[in-house]
Parts: sequence; structure tokens; C-alpha cells
Amino acid sequence: MSRKRVILAASFGIVFTYCAVALLAPVIAPYDPHAITGAPLSPPDEDHLLGTNDLAQDVFSRLIWGTRATLLLGFIGATIAVAIGTAAGIVSGYYGGLIDEAVMRILDVAMTIPIFPLLLIFTTFFRPKIYLIAILMGLLGSFQGVRVIRSQVLSLAVADFVVGTRALGAGDGYIMARHILPGVLPLAGVKFVTSAQHFMLIGIGLGFLGITDPSVVDWGQMINRASQNGAMVLGLWWWLIPPGLAVTLISLALAWLGYACEDEINPRLRVMRI
Amino acid sequence: MTDEALLEVRGLKVGFPTPDGLVRASDTVDLRVYPQETLGLIGETGSGKTVLGMAILRLLQPNTIIEGEIRYRGRDLLTLPEDDMRKVRGREIGIVLQNSGTSLNPVYTVGTQIAEAVTLHQGLNGPDAWQRAVELLDTVGIPDPVRMAGEYPHQFSGGMRERALIATALACRPTLLIADEPTKGLDAVTKRGIIDLFSEIDRDHRSVLFITHDIETVEDLATRVAVMYAGEIVEVGGAKEVLGDPAHPYTRGLLASLPERGMQPIPGSAPSLITPPPGCRFSPRCGRACGDCRSEHPGLVEVGPGHYARCMLYDRG
Repeated sequence: MSRKRVILAASFGIVFTYCAVALLAPVIAPYDPHAITGAPLSPPDEDHLLGTNDLAQDVFSRLIWGTRATLLLGFIGATIAVAIGTAAGIVSGYYGGLIDEAVMRILDVAMTIPIFPLLLIFTTFFRPKIYLIAILMGLLGSFQGVRVIRSQVLSLAVADFVVGTRALGAGDGYIMARHILPGVLPLAGVKFVTSAQHFMLIGIGLGFLGITDPSVVDWGQMINRASQNGAMVLGLWWWLIPPGLAVTLISLALAWLGYACEDEINPRLRVMRI
Repeated sequence: MTDEALLEVRGLKVGFPTPDGLVRASDTVDLRVYPQETLGLIGETGSGKTVLGMAILRLLQPNTIIEGEIRYRGRDLLTLPEDDMRKVRGREIGIVLQNSGTSLNPVYTVGTQIAEAVTLHQGLNGPDAWQRAVELLDTVGIPDPVRMAGEYPHQFSGGMRERALIATALACRPTLLIADEPTKGLDAVTKRGIIDLFSEIDRDHRSVLFITHDIETVEDLATRVAVMYAGEIVEVGGAKEVLGDPAHPYTRGLLASLPERGMQPIPGSAPSLITPPPGCRFSPRCGRACGDCRSEHPGLVEVGPGHYARCMLYDRG
């Protein structure tokens, strides 16, 4: 197997494992992530695989449950962003003319909106549930993919087979769904992976600043609490390192996956990134 | 041939706006297609043949400027609402587009795409539509159609792709079939096969508008022939008359340029469609052009029964 394939397989493996852990969290985690399970700040032992935090909660159980929050933000956000972005790109590129012009100008403005600060303000003031944060991320992130999809659609819309399908009496909706969409799916797939990674990191960032949904266990909040309470200075590595490592691993895996997919669809981009 | 025309194009003007000016790809074209006939439309590349075919089905880009009338069974296709036009496309008028290599979507099997045509108009679904697709592939002479229906376009050879496209166009049994250079880029044997296919496909209830620059093909298939030059019809009439006794100097030149008839090319090249020459458009290349030809634009004049030519030689008196 080539180096690329190894990395690709490893990335798939990591993403798959994370998904499985998120789904099976209640089975895998030995304790309730909110429960007091023994002495606070105790180092790893056979009862607590990764020790306990200052509130005597089991770090391992919190790490397992935290997977849910991160994947949920990433995947729900990316699904919404890619669905809206792809639809807008297809409509814009296919119809062209005034519709295209309108979409592009709206985009010019929308692209200048910085996602993270806006989310920061929103979550600070409204303290929304995690689902709402994910949806909001998706909506704000949907502007990013439109241009790439549109440029691909511009060439597909005048392809001979599209004209041919119209000559058979097919309507616009039918052509867009059956003959344009498959052509942009690979691009949308790459966008999904890269957006998911981006949104996960934003979610961790929000958690680290302590302004996400407080009822949900997430890695950002874990890192925040550990560093605020001097885990670094006191050498309480089991409290700080595991969530940090967990974030790094999933975001690396998604980045590799995104690059590998991009390489597949556009070999001209094949620079040595991985 | 005296009955009502199936398709009547009247004063059709098609213009493409470009930064250099309006390209008049089709300039006041009048053309009739009668029931059950094969009309061969010939002319060199860039003379506006393809544009005419596309304009009939309103397949040109939305920014194209189109004037005139295209009457199909009495209805003007140019003013038809889009929904009604969709019902005409494929079902009433089928078209085999140029470039068979890219006219099939690479991501679907050939059978799926033929079945698509059936599904769009005849309401057949799933296995029924597939069955019909296999039948159609068989009709157009694809060997082992059951297996080939499941293959992708890139697995088809050029001639087979052309046949598959013809099958798609025939899927809903259109009354008029427009074929745009279906023999382009094919070797002699394959070309022969396609010509034979066109002469076989049930002709009793179908008219064909056969667009090509290949005069041999027209000789074999067409009952009538129209010759296009620089966006205009310059000669039209029965195939025997036009090809046997051409009236227009351009048609004569075209025939004389055939390898078996001396291979004498027409001097010069086709004029600009943005600023066509004043008077007769062929005059700068015509050996028989005189003063009037360069200033006056000739109309179509009847030179024999049902045989018209756009030339000053006949327009004088």
C-alpha cells in the first residue's frame, strides 16, 4: 500500500472509531460524566482510567461523552452548510443571468461575515442549546461552498448531455437533480469533510471560552476547566492532555481525508500535502 | 408533397450578441419540412445549420436573439409557453445532437439514459422503461442489447454511441427527427451503417431533417435538399434537381469540390456573420458575379418546379 493509502485508511479508521464511540458512549463510559465518583484530582488507576478532575468526575467518561458534542456540531453543521451551499451554487450556476448575479452579490456581502465572532456573540447572549449552535454554524458556513460549486455547474450547465436531456423534454428541476448534482457531489463531499473539521474546531473554541451549552459535556469545556485550575502547573496531565489529543486526532483525520478526496477529484492539485 | 408542411420556418433570424457585434447565425431563413420526407440540410461549417436545428427546439442559450416564426402543425414554437414546449421536445420533435461523444452523461449507463427519455414522456417506469430501452438499442442495431444497456458511454465505440443517441431520440416516436451531423467523425464503414440505419427506421410516419456537410450522405437519404450559406438558404429543391442540376453557383462549387468530381475547392473563405458582404453573400467568391451581385441582395427565385435559388442569374427577369 502506498503512503497515501495508509494515511487514508488510518483517517477513515479514526473517523469511524469516533462515530462508534459517540454512538456507544453510554456502553463504553464506566461512569455518569456528571457524577462524583471518588476523590478529586486522583491520577489514573484501575477505577479511573484517566483519573478524576477537580469535581471528582471521571475524566475518561467525560472524554467519551464529549465525542458526541464535537461530532454533532461538526456533522450537523457541515450537513446544513453543504446542503444549502450546493443548492445555491447549482441554482446560481444553472440559471445564470440575474439569478446568478443576485446570488453572487449576496455572497460578496455574506462572505465578509466572520463566523466565529458572530457565534461568540450569539452564544454569549442567548446561551442556546447545542443543536441550535450547530444549525447556526451550518447557516453561516453555507456561504463558503457556493462559489466552488457554482463554477463547476457553469461548465456542466452547457454540457452536451445537459442540452441533450433538455431536448428530450426534461424540466430544469429534473436536469439539476439528475444531471448536474452528480457532477458536483465529489466537490460537495470534500466541502463536507473540510467544513466538519472547521466546525468541530469552532465548537471546541466556543467550549474553551466557556460559552457553549453548559448541559453538554464537551472537550473545549474540559480543556478550559483544566487550564483554568492549573492542571498545567500542577502536572495533572490526565486532566488536560486527553481532550486535547482527542481534538487533534479527529481534526487531523478529517484534514487528511479532505486532502485525499481533493487529490482524487483534481489530480492537478496533487502537491505533497500528506 | 403538396400537402400541408409539418414544420414551417418563416423568416427566422438568430443572432448571438458578442463583444464584436451581433453574429447573425441565421438570417431570414424560410424552410419547410413535409410529412414523411427527408430533408437534407447541407452547407459548410459555420453556415448556421446546427443553429437552425437547435432553434427549432428552442435549445439555444437564453441570451440569443430569435425572430420569425417556427410553425409546427400550425403552432408557433417560438411563442409556446415553456411547459408546452417541453411536451414538444422529445415527443413531437426528437433531435440527435452533434458530438455523440459528449452527448451522453458519463455517470449513467446507456440503458438508464434511454429509459430516461421513455420515462419523461410515456410514464413507463423501472423495468418497463428498461425493457423499452433494450428494445430501442436492438432497433438501432446494437449487438447484444441486453448487456450493452448496462454499459457506460465510454465503453461504447463512436458508431455505437451515435446509434445509442439515435435510440434516445426515437424513444418517444417523434413525428420529426432532427439529426445533426450523425455521421461526423466516423470511418467509412461505420458511416455506411448509420446511413443504412436512417434509411431503415420506420419512415411511414416520420419526417427527418438531416443536417450534414457530407453530400454523399444526402444523396443516399434525402428526398429534398436545402443548401445553406452564411446564415441563408441559397438553394432548395428536390434532391435529384439540386444535386443533379444545381442552380446556385455555390452549390455547383460545393459539388465540384467533391473528390470524385474533380476536387476543385471554392476560392476564398466563408464571410463574417457580423458584417456580411453587401448584396449577394456569395459574390466575393463567385466566378460569375457582376456589378449587381455586389450591391443587390437576391431573393429566392423559382428556377424549376419546387426548385428555388437565391442568385442574380435568375433574379433579373
